[in-house]
Amino acid sequence: MFRFEFYLRKNKMLKLILPVVFPSWRFFSSIGASPRIQFAFLQNESDDPQLWQDFRPRPERVSFVEGLRRLLWNPQWNETLYINTCAEHLFDEPSPMREQEIMRRILAAVSRGEITSEYKATFLLFRICTIIRDRNEITQPVVFVSKPEALLGNAL
Amino acid sequence: MSIEQAVRFAEIIMTFAYLQQSLEFVRGLQPEKALGIVRAVLSVVLFIGFQTVYVEAGLLIIALMLLHRFQGPYNGGSDCMSILVLLCLFLSHIAPSKFWQEMALGYLAFQLTFSYFQSGYIKVINPDWRSGRALRDVFALTAYPVSEHLREWAKSPRLLWCMSWSVILFELVFPLSLLCYTTLIIALSLAALFHLANACLFGLNRFFWIWPAAYPVIIWLQHRLLH
Repeated sequence: MFRFEFYLRKNKMLKLILPVVFPSWRFFSSIGASPRIQFAFLQNESDDPQLWQDFRPRPERVSFVEGLRRLLWNPQWNETLYINTCAEHLFDEPSPMREQEIMRRILAAVSRGEITSEYKATFLLFRICTIIRDRNEITQPVVFVSKPEALLGNAL
Repeated sequence: MSIEQAVRFAEIIMTFAYLQQSLEFVRGLQPEKALGIVRAVLSVVLFIGFQTVYVEAGLLIIALMLLHRFQGPYNGGSDCMSILVLLCLFLSHIAPSKFWQEMALGYLAFQLTFSYFQSGYIKVINPDWRSGRALRDVFALTAYPVSEHLREWAKSPRLLWCMSWSVILFELVFPLSLLCYTTLIIALSLAALFHLANACLFGLNRFFWIWPAAYPVIIWLQHRLLH
């Protein structure tokens, strides 16, 4: 039993390592569904979300100086790309780990004061929309809605 | 460029890329925050050139821990290249003979060349890329453009058609640049500019720092093959 579990673990690690040692460089091979993360605050866990907000909406413009600074220091953007990767995995199959990763990072943004609410919220949930182009029509269906998570000490 | 010089130059550029990535982790959540601190310290030690093999082994262990932590690369291709550069440099140090040392570095040079060629190939066989539609979708629909203003580029199909074909042709002919030192230097300069553009337009700053880490190795390989 122990040996079998060890083999499975080793095999799982191999599945992570092999694509790195023998990578595929298929950057932008096809432009598929693109995820957007939105979140909503709740006063009570059973409430229906009233206002969905985009998580980290893009600025209108990025100045040249800001662009140079981001060459050296761009942690928030890289984290957002990672969150998008988690969201893309959730398109394909349920993954508590990916769901938790997205939630943790949104809660951390609340904790840092990056996201605030106008009213006293005690719960937060997020959803994933996908931007899809079908011929000339663009749609934005909701493909995933998370369970509400308590804001705990972060209550706004 | 000698093999020793190529390895050392590659290590210096790689340590800068690793330091940049690690400091970004330090701003984040646990456990990557703690791993980022250790990785940043090891990067500085590697920059100095102290106990290179042990430091690179330590960095490889952290790379595995991060792979396990995120169940894959944190930032896709840039993480793959980061680990690949580190692994090949480490293998070149512990190689039992000159032949295996050259094989380790040759593999890195091959992957660098292939990274451009394969990217170009998968684009040129895609009708959407050939028509410029794919790049328009990148600007209009994906999460990559760094500002809303950049999304307006999607309304310039001629510009994006030219950009698409410039990228496709450059990536496809990159392997031919190995035929001569001058063309290789020109190609690597253009490649660095390409990564700079990707960093400015799509926020892919990690690619801009880690891909050049492999450039000294390909310059060495080109010299090795032709002389």
